[in-house]
Amino acid sequence: MLSAEEWTILGTSLSIAGRAILFSLPLAIAAAWVLGRSNLPGKSLLDAIVHLPIVLPPVLVGFLLLMIFGRRGAIGAWLDETFGITLAFTAEGAALATAVMTFPLLVRSIRLAFEMADPGLLEAAAVLRAGPWDRFLSVALPLAGPAILAGAVTAFAAGLGEFGAVIAFASNVPGETQTLPLAIWSAMQQPDGEALAYRLGAISFTVAIIGLAAAELLQRWARRRHAG
Amino acid sequence: MSEFGPEGLCVEDLRLLQGKFELRGSFRAPAPGVTVVFGPSGAGKSSLLRVVAGLERPASGVIRYGDEVLEDVATGVRRPPHARDIGMVFQDSRLFPHLTVSGNLEYAVRRCPAERTRPDVSAIAEEVEISHLLERPVGRLSGGERGRVALARALVSAPRLLLLDEPFAALDGRLRRSFVSMLGEIAKRQAIPMLVVTHLIDDAVELADHVVALRDGEIVAAGSAHEVMAGGVFGDLLDRRDHGVRLTSGALADEDSPHAGKGVWLRADNVLVAAEEPRGLSARNVWPGKLAGMEVEPDGAVVLRLACDVGTVLARVTAAAVRDLELEVDQPIWAVVKTHAV
Repeated sequence: MLSAEEWTILGTSLSIAGRAILFSLPLAIAAAWVLGRSNLPGKSLLDAIVHLPIVLPPVLVGFLLLMIFGRRGAIGAWLDETFGITLAFTAEGAALATAVMTFPLLVRSIRLAFEMADPGLLEAAAVLRAGPWDRFLSVALPLAGPAILAGAVTAFAAGLGEFGAVIAFASNVPGETQTLPLAIWSAMQQPDGEALAYRLGAISFTVAIIGLAAAELLQRWARRRHAG
Repeated sequence: MSEFGPEGLCVEDLRLLQGKFELRGSFRAPAPGVTVVFGPSGAGKSSLLRVVAGLERPASGVIRYGDEVLEDVATGVRRPPHARDIGMVFQDSRLFPHLTVSGNLEYAVRRCPAERTRPDVSAIAEEVEISHLLERPVGRLSGGERGRVALARALVSAPRLLLLDEPFAALDGRLRRSFVSMLGEIAKRQAIPMLVVTHLIDDAVELADHVVALRDGEIVAAGSAHEVMAGGVFGDLLDRRDHGVRLTSGALADEDSPHAGKGVWLRADNVLVAAEEPRGLSARNVWPGKLAGMEVEPDGAVVLRLACDVGTVLARVTAAAVRDLELEVDQPIWAVVKTHAV
């Protein structure tokens, strides 16, 4: 059904979006907890930073990543010298760019789940001798679990479509960083590439619909869980 | 208050500020025993429990359990709620919705310190009558069942003091009575000191060894149930139709099990007065005594103070009744009470 090239492109996309979500999920959970449940000072600043990728042009985000994580960037140079890790123009870099772009989406849905949870349940856990970490791991996280999964699936589906930041930071290397939208863009540049662009578009569409449907199912599960 | 031993809860010079509301006062809740926190809605009963549990931070004051300081604002000592060893049953149960009934109980048991005697979960489940519910998700419990599971969860965590914030408030009539009786039985059998919030006088009388009376955020009286409930300050906390006296359990003839608590509340509205010894009545309680005093209420009704063998009893009658019976202070009278009127 799919050609070898199409399988490669789909595989690259799924792998990059998957790694992006795995990488950003713990951070997103931490940020969502701080934003949704804590009284820490500087919350508004964190909120603004988390949401920056939504309002900045994606290409600019990619450019900034290049400035920071590129071989000559402050962190990129250190990673290269210390661990021999290169991010720019690699699949890992594409995953990083996707993670940054989908981060706000992920934080928003997880934060909503934390805010939805009854704070009284955390008090109930406290008087049963559960300390702060215990309460988080045994009550807050399991209750938010389905919503976190739903957010992760939505962010994953959105990550499959990430274009500007990925192409600016990781370029468009077939088999390495060429994801579905990048491949569609490449096909559009070729005189006879219209048919391929359509096929890739159809694949993109199908994967996105599956992702959204899965997210919706998980959301319903989440609501049932909170209804207790 | 020196009659109490070192065990138990001691709250001194407490001040809690919540917006415009201020809670203040001192009291002791001796262990063992049930201390009822009584007062009208909005008096600050729940806030008082929350401070003791460590869920609210007072502006000043000292909270001790036995010799151990749980909170001393002046010296900055503060034990967080999870380290106080104080259990709490909330008004809204607060069962964990992602766990089954037995999951909720296990949650409590797992966190019970090893040096404590592990509670016998199945015995408690049986006592609280939830053995048949153990595998059920908490979403499929009724209000009464939720309250019982919340009580069981608190009991299996084996706290040294159990706080109960009107856990039977959502229940009505017979269900509430049976919950209150069960609670009294458990307090006795498990010998666990309890601090129970209620605004219902019947529940308070049935459960209380000791009473903390609250009005508008102020602890207006604290001490033994017998003392506090006989005081005028306590009477002021009651609705007019609840005015009455506390009789110790067993004072009424044919008292049945629902009233087998610490005492019963005899409302002035439920007492009849006879100027001559009545005969052939169905009422099981006919107490000879003396009319010790009369007080006319603003609406013209008259509250009679009757000195009987069982203690002082109040009776509210109409002014016309006082006239027709030609009642005078010091004359002999008979107080008549139906057992089921209590």
